[in-house]
Amino acid sequence: METTVIDAHNISKTYDPKGIPVTAIRNVHMHISKGEFVALVGPSGSGKTTLLNMIGGLDHPDSGQIIVNGTDITALGQKGLVKFRLHNIGFVFQAFNLIPVLTAKENAEFIMLLQKEKKAKRDERIDLLFNQVGLMDKKNIRPAQLSGGQQQRVAVVRALASKPQFVLADEPTANLDSASAFNLLDMMAKLNKEENMTFIFSTHDQRVIERARRVITLVDGQIVSDQQ
Amino acid sequence: MIITLAWRNIWRNKMRSLVIIASVTAGLLAGIAILALYKGMMKSRIRTVIDTETGHLQIHAIGFTADLDPALFISHQEDITRSLSANQNIEAYTTRTITAGMVSTPSGSAGVSIMGIDPVEESRVSGLSKKMREGKMQWAGQTKGILIGKKLAKKLKLALGEKLVITMTDTADNLVAAAFRIQGIYQSANAPLDEVNVYVSRKDLQEMLGLKTQVHEIAIKLKTDEWLEEQLLQLQHAYPRLSIESWKTLSPETSMMAETVDTLSYIILIIILVALSFGIMNTMMMSILERRHEIGMMMALGMNRIKLLLLIMTETFFLTITGIPIAMLIGRIAANYYEKKGMDLSGMGRDMMESFGFETMIYPSYPADKMGFIILLVFCTALVSSILPIIKSLRMDPVSALQK
Repeated sequence: METTVIDAHNISKTYDPKGIPVTAIRNVHMHISKGEFVALVGPSGSGKTTLLNMIGGLDHPDSGQIIVNGTDITALGQKGLVKFRLHNIGFVFQAFNLIPVLTAKENAEFIMLLQKEKKAKRDERIDLLFNQVGLMDKKNIRPAQLSGGQQQRVAVVRALASKPQFVLADEPTANLDSASAFNLLDMMAKLNKEENMTFIFSTHDQRVIERARRVITLVDGQIVSDQQ
Repeated sequence: MIITLAWRNIWRNKMRSLVIIASVTAGLLAGIAILALYKGMMKSRIRTVIDTETGHLQIHAIGFTADLDPALFISHQEDITRSLSANQNIEAYTTRTITAGMVSTPSGSAGVSIMGIDPVEESRVSGLSKKMREGKMQWAGQTKGILIGKKLAKKLKLALGEKLVITMTDTADNLVAAAFRIQGIYQSANAPLDEVNVYVSRKDLQEMLGLKTQVHEIAIKLKTDEWLEEQLLQLQHAYPRLSIESWKTLSPETSMMAETVDTLSYIILIIILVALSFGIMNTMMMSILERRHEIGMMMALGMNRIKLLLLIMTETFFLTITGIPIAMLIGRIAANYYEKKGMDLSGMGRDMMESFGFETMIYPSYPADKMGFIILLVFCTALVSSILPIIKSLRMDPVSALQK
């Protein structure tokens, strides 16, 4: 039986910069199950990042409900959302966003440290993931000495280290060359398979779309297609 | 994690952090230097008061110090001096006969305090013998001898060996006068006192006042300053019918000056730290704005506001307190050097320094007793400097901070 991870009901979001309302998401319904490998695609301004932000508890919808693993995150306050993000979601950002003064290992264990996990458990998990992504020899190196692809792999390890409910990746391959992008996709697919980890990533990179097992297309804030 | 991250964060921009740390070090060093100098000056002033003006403690008949009435002498002085001789905490004491009078010369006259002393006893308690600039502290010749201050000599155009006439009222209210020959001119570190205090033989003064062996003052020098309060209480308890005072009440201006100087040096230090806090705050604000994206990311990943607050506060503390040990070390070395070698402030004006009762050679003393308070002030500076950067970072919205 499929386990539901994300259940979004009729969510809408309108921004009002400079007094001109812009609807970013319009009456979206979405259902994502455990272990899915989903690509959110669409042109720029279609609402991909806004939808990811709302699923990730970074932004509130104006209407509708988002239930993640049984928790209505639209009802959570600021503190509750921070705690929810910490324990349930792994984020991978377009610009890698590693902390430059920390080593690859320290970056990777950042979330586990926030969760106050014991050192032994952290070391075991980080070593396992670094092995899986082929960065074992780079774990004591700072991000500036790593290539873009290696930095993004560290970011993926960071997202996965705490075993979140799902990983949200916003344009994860946008800053990578083809070889690094394929490497990253291979690694994400492998982790998705081995750890049964749910991946949801926004992209308009055809290489990523081709690897996804489910593609949800957004246009003007609405889902226009949802293909397996 | 917070500590590691904060420490590494302050070294992201090495030059900027070093400038701030150097500013804090320089500011603190300036504060320590001021405190050390003031402490040295006050130590010197207090030593001058104890060693050349009052001694540690003085005994008088009640009411004597108000108008120097020669009839108010100390009764049973032999019993008291015997007891003082037996007291292990007392290094020395001297007895003085004192009255007010008028010094007259062909070129003018001046009101003075006339102290009848025994040079041998006196040299054990006061440093008067070391302050002699001309002549000697001894009575010789047929004419009565007198020691006057350099300032009085200058005022009355008097020189060593010249004569003057002293007029005073004896214990029977008769006006008496006698001629004295100047046998010594002294100069202490307290110019105002040099103008009013003259010293004659205790025996001569007792004869003029119609006294036998009675004295008006017993000045006591203790073996250490630390026994002052204990001895004061002990003597007050032993002689309730006499007035027993410490140098603090005999020279209230010195005691008050010591407290005022402390307050003044703290005010100067606070002004320095307030000025520094703007620099620290500016550095932290720049650092926060440069790391806006990163802070947004950390908030998105689940770093709560308390941890973010602690991170910013720890960074500000590191930036502020790193200078403390450096300033303390340099301050200690410099203070030790000048404590041994002395700092000649005669360039600031010898007369001005002396008119306030200060020596011109000051031996700055490291203000170790005040370092706790200085560190507390620096911590407060760090706390105040971190407020705006903390507010700025806590107000960040992760979504907008993550946008490029």
